[in-house]
Amino acid sequence: MRHIAFLLFAAASLLNSAAGATRPHYGGTLRVLLQGAPENLDLPAGAIPTDYWDTARLLAMLADNLIRIDAAGHAQPALALTWQSDPTGKRWQFTIRHGVKFHDGSAASAATIAQTLGDRHADWTVRGSGDSLTIESENPLPSLLAELALPRNAILKRTATGLPVGTGPFRVSEFQPGRLLKLAANEESWAGRPFVDGVEIDLGHSLRDQAITLELGKSDVIEAPPQPAALSGESQRIRTSLPVELMALVFSPNSKAQDTRVRDALALAIDRKPIQAVLLKGAGEPAASILPNWMTGYSAVFPTQANLQRARAVLADSRQPALTLNYDPRDPQAQLIAERIALNAREVGITLQVSLSGPADVSLVRIVLPSPDPATSLREAARVLGLPQPLLHGNAVDDLYTAERTLLDGHAVIPLLHLPVASAVSGRVRNWEPARTGDWNVSDIWLEDWR
Amino acid sequence: MNEASPTTRYNQPIPHMHGRWSGGLRMGWLAPFLLATAVLPSLLSATVFGDAARQLAHKIASVTGPGAISLEIANRSSLDDKSVSDIRGALEAQLRTEGVRIAQPDEAQRSVEITLSESLREYVWSAQIMVGADERKVVLISTPRAPSASPASAMPLVLRKSFLFTQEQPILDAALVEMSGGPRLLVLDAGKVAAYHQQAGRWEQESALAITHSRTFPRDLRGRLLLRRDHLFDVHLPGTICRSSVTAPLTLACNDSDDPWPLTADEGAVRASFAPARNFFTGALSPGIGKVSNAPSFYSAAALPRSGSVLWILAAVDGSLHLLDGTTDQVIRGAKWGSDLAAIGSGCGTGTQLLVSESGDPAQDSLRAFEIADRDPVAFSAPLEFDGPVVALWTEGSGSAAVAIVERPDTGWYEAYRISVVCGS
Repeated sequence: MRHIAFLLFAAASLLNSAAGATRPHYGGTLRVLLQGAPENLDLPAGAIPTDYWDTARLLAMLADNLIRIDAAGHAQPALALTWQSDPTGKRWQFTIRHGVKFHDGSAASAATIAQTLGDRHADWTVRGSGDSLTIESENPLPSLLAELALPRNAILKRTATGLPVGTGPFRVSEFQPGRLLKLAANEESWAGRPFVDGVEIDLGHSLRDQAITLELGKSDVIEAPPQPAALSGESQRIRTSLPVELMALVFSPNSKAQDTRVRDALALAIDRKPIQAVLLKGAGEPAASILPNWMTGYSAVFPTQANLQRARAVLADSRQPALTLNYDPRDPQAQLIAERIALNAREVGITLQVSLSGPADVSLVRIVLPSPDPATSLREAARVLGLPQPLLHGNAVDDLYTAERTLLDGHAVIPLLHLPVASAVSGRVRNWEPARTGDWNVSDIWLEDWR
Repeated sequence: MNEASPTTRYNQPIPHMHGRWSGGLRMGWLAPFLLATAVLPSLLSATVFGDAARQLAHKIASVTGPGAISLEIANRSSLDDKSVSDIRGALEAQLRTEGVRIAQPDEAQRSVEITLSESLREYVWSAQIMVGADERKVVLISTPRAPSASPASAMPLVLRKSFLFTQEQPILDAALVEMSGGPRLLVLDAGKVAAYHQQAGRWEQESALAITHSRTFPRDLRGRLLLRRDHLFDVHLPGTICRSSVTAPLTLACNDSDDPWPLTADEGAVRASFAPARNFFTGALSPGIGKVSNAPSFYSAAALPRSGSVLWILAAVDGSLHLLDGTTDQVIRGAKWGSDLAAIGSGCGTGTQLLVSESGDPAQDSLRAFEIADRDPVAFSAPLEFDGPVVALWTEGSGSAAVAIVERPDTGWYEAYRISVVCGS
């Protein structure tokens, strides 16, 4: 990772020559490299973070959602212009933007959108008529707007061959599964035609390959390992998001560690700071909460400091079985972090064997916190981690804290780190302003040297 | 929705508009400026944080009951030391009213650790109260974060900027107009022309005239608001032209139109076609500049009157500058100017200078005045700095000032400034 970071920084330093200000230019093809190599352009239910980000970014170029959520958690219009709910939050009404068309020329009418959403959510009743769309549910939907903004709720149709047809700023012009995706500017995009004529996305490239191609000037936008905030600040060409991922230990239902004392002791034994400072080169934040502080503001009440003395006291003299810890081998940092955790565990008398074979008692996982809306991210985290769904009545800080505390008191998960995602661009890319939540703004990018 | 009192969630709340003048009577603006920048925030903070302190103190007291506690406060937010000190004072005072006394740790019955933190949306204060050897209770309160401070004040050198207005939506152009009952500020954005009048030192919205259009506006939307003699104003947007009514009440009629935009406010001025789905002029001129009726595509143009002629400067899409005098087209490359330029009449030097945006730095930008002597640009002023890129620059109808629109990278809001030139500095 250090070498990749160096390559990125060297490329950024060379390419960071300021030019005179100019309005955005139209034209040119943006060259993008991604790690993921999807065989179809769909968001898999259990996507690992890398696949999640890649697919979500691709879908954002092709399709729109009814709503988008900004980093502060506020809903902003997209395909829906206005919305309102009844006092119970069980019935919502949206006014759909007029005149929007799918890439195949068909109208993105309220009826079409209703059918798309209704097919995805069996527990909703979705109706569309004229420019009005209603969503009803037997249960209150207080976080409906944030839910509608998730990539899985992008408004898409599919061609006979399964290619997505959306209303977004780009349309698919060529797709070679797992290898290459070519997009063309949607001249009729309701938000205005993108500045670049097209985007060529090479799929299946490691972070190291991506960094090299950027340095050689053969790519324009790449993914990068999580960067410390300081490094991001030194160069406008590397951008790091807010922490939008959670790394955590998750106990399997059949784990030999059924004694909650072992789980408490393990949580107290892990020294998160060296993992963040050394293994992750300063990227991310130590965490003992599921949600990061920028979403909730209360992470200080979940202490992250290791307390070996207390961990030993919790265990007392009980004899504990040896546990196995596995990790995702596709995650480049996971093995070192797992081994470090095993070392911490040993210091308090817990035997943790790092292994990729056989059923594991504990798993080191990395998940995406997909929405700036804390309630939505908490629900998603609970779903992905296999925890009970939190009982949330709103976004009040007390409700949120109580729900999160209840999830953690179940002793099924030990939060470790909140991680950002990073990306880098070449010197010819202008107006590169990825959202602080990790999303890209490809449609607003323009190319300096294209005339 | 037929239910009573539906909860309407409608886009973003339209933020409260703030406006202020600078220049003119110094004490006239100094007092409200000081009030706005120094006194009001303190009073506001005192009120907001006072309420929050009362809530938190009440929650703490409901756990500890009356008696002595030790109190530690850690600041993990963007609050400054003075605010933290004020909050501590407010908390201690509120706790006393709840019968809770602050004591040294060895004299206290309970210890309370307060963390002042924040999310992107709000301040979050948490109190961890030790209620046993290993047991602690957590209470929380939240209070909205104050909006970011207003922009820095003007720093007049040769070029002088006067802050006009700020709003969250991108401002395309703005114009000051003298009307019965006092001056009005017209602000053009993608959806409306809003008219404001001054009341107690603030711009208060008087009316908002919606802009209707059937064509999709391009990204990097540009628009021009031109005051007129026979009616109040025209609005030129890509593929759309709007005309205000002649008499009150003010209305706005918009139509799809590819008619060229006037390049100056003069009636009968040179007009240029604007590409309806792009952000530039196509280069087609009517009437032409002398013999030139087809120029290269350009972003902006400025007319510099000369004795017996007018020299036109075009900022072309390819980054070059074109100097057109009606006969010849001289091209200057590598000037490293921005793509926004405007003419500004000062009465000094040759009488009219060229105002140019310079760096395009996302964090800072500047405007600078140039004269074109022997067709070579010569710097005429020191740079006038802005805390963000200049995203629009238009000559005012009078020709003696310009309007610059700046996007603040820290807040994402847009600010309109009136730019004028002071001779002899």
